Amino acid sequence: MSKEAQMRAAINQKLIEMGERERLKELLRAKLVECGWRDQLKAHCKDVIREKGLEHVTVEDLVTEITPKGRALVPDSVKKELLQRIRAFLAQHSAL
Amino acid sequence: MKMEGMSLSGLDSTKLETLAQDIYSDLVEDACLGLCFEVHRAVKQGYFFLDETDQESMKDFEIVDQPGVDIFGQVFNQWKNKECVCPNCSRSIAASRFAPHLEKCLGMGRNSSRIANRRIASSNNMNKSESDQEDNDDLNDNDWSYGSEKKAKKRKSEKNPNSPRRSKSLKHKNGELGTGMNPDLYKYNYSTGINYETLGPEELRSLLTTQCGVVSEHTKKMCTRSTLPDPDSVVESDGYDAADGQVLMSRFVWDGSSDISPSDSASSKASTNNSDSKRPKKKKKPGSVSVGGAVAERGPERGSGAVNAGVGSSSSSSSSSSSSQAALTIPNRKKKPKFSAPSALSSYDELN
Repeated sequence: MSKEAQMRAAINQKLIEMGERERLKELLRAKLVECGWRDQLKAHCKDVIREKGLEHVTVEDLVTEITPKGRALVPDSVKKELLQRIRAFLAQHSAL
Repeated sequence: MKMEGMSLSGLDSTKLETLAQDIYSDLVEDACLGLCFEVHRAVKQGYFFLDETDQESMKDFEIVDQPGVDIFGQVFNQWKNKECVCPNCSRSIAASRFAPHLEKCLGMGRNSSRIANRRIASSNNMNKSESDQEDNDDLNDNDWSYGSEKKAKKRKSEKNPNSPRRSKSLKHKNGELGTGMNPDLYKYNYSTGINYETLGPEELRSLLTTQCGVVSEHTKKMCTRSTLPDPDSVVESDGYDAADGQVLMSRFVWDGSSDISPSDSASSKASTNNSDSKRPKKKKKPGSVSVGGAVAERGPERGSGAVNAGVGSSSSSSSSSSSSQAALTIPNRKKKPKFSAPSALSSYDELN
């Protein structure tokens, strides 16, 4: 495993251990609901389901349809804020 | 471990940024997956499309987004300027004033009874105090605002005679009301302000044969306790059985004690109560009533009030007579009422 990879693993581990990851996750979820991202995506889900037929929809279908659209639909403000927080965390806890 | 020696300073900023981006996209993907799982479960459980109905209803209840209108499409103050017809008085009333008007119109609100009582009281006053219609008109013409102020002030300072509190306290003061005459008597009492000197002898006799007639020192009001159970008691001054007249005579006796201060009256009452402990406490039964019996009657009710009301007295004219009575009546309390009767009667002769 390269140093870089080790580095990343270490940081991820720290992120989880300190509970920061959970906090970030909750923050993101709240912001997405607030800005209407969730409703938009749900409407898209409905279309996909109607398309594929109610009985035969699978998780994979949904995932492949939804995820790229979801990524694209995240508003910039939310993205910026989250990145800011992540960088702050990295800066704080870079020295091991 | 090898990691211990490492620090991020080894990583350049781009790599740091990449790292941050990766973390971010992980988080976003988590969110998307969460949504997918939720939707899939809803589909399989069958509740995904529950909030949808037929197209028609959907259109009916669609969210409205126009200015000046709420999301249901209703205008805010649509009913403000409309007028309603009152079913009671058949007048056309503005919508916002309709409810209070109806309250007063039907006489069912909290304040409507108070206002009605006030009107009755003031109309009583007006009727009794206005001897001459012309004078009144002149007054009204000359100083409308001043006159109304005067009347308004008068009304405010007057206590409402029919208010529940007052009638309650009176009940306590006068003991049992007994007959249905009493409400009328109260009205008569308060509105005229009894002055024995102004009443003629016939009126006085008729008044005193039916009521106690003792004027309260504190409130200047006449005791309207009914004497009906023993109508003959006043006439027969000497005809004393223990049965007759004791109720009335005992009340006369109290007249003398009016000069006593409240503390004294309490103590004197206590002493009479002690003397009565032997006698059975009955309410208004002539057989057991004596001076002390009167106290016993009032005992269960509010104490000081009973003494004041029953005693009443001291209009200025009667004060001298009552003071003379005080010496007589205090020792008399423990003796039988026969002795006190003549003195009580004499005081009323003086009044007449």
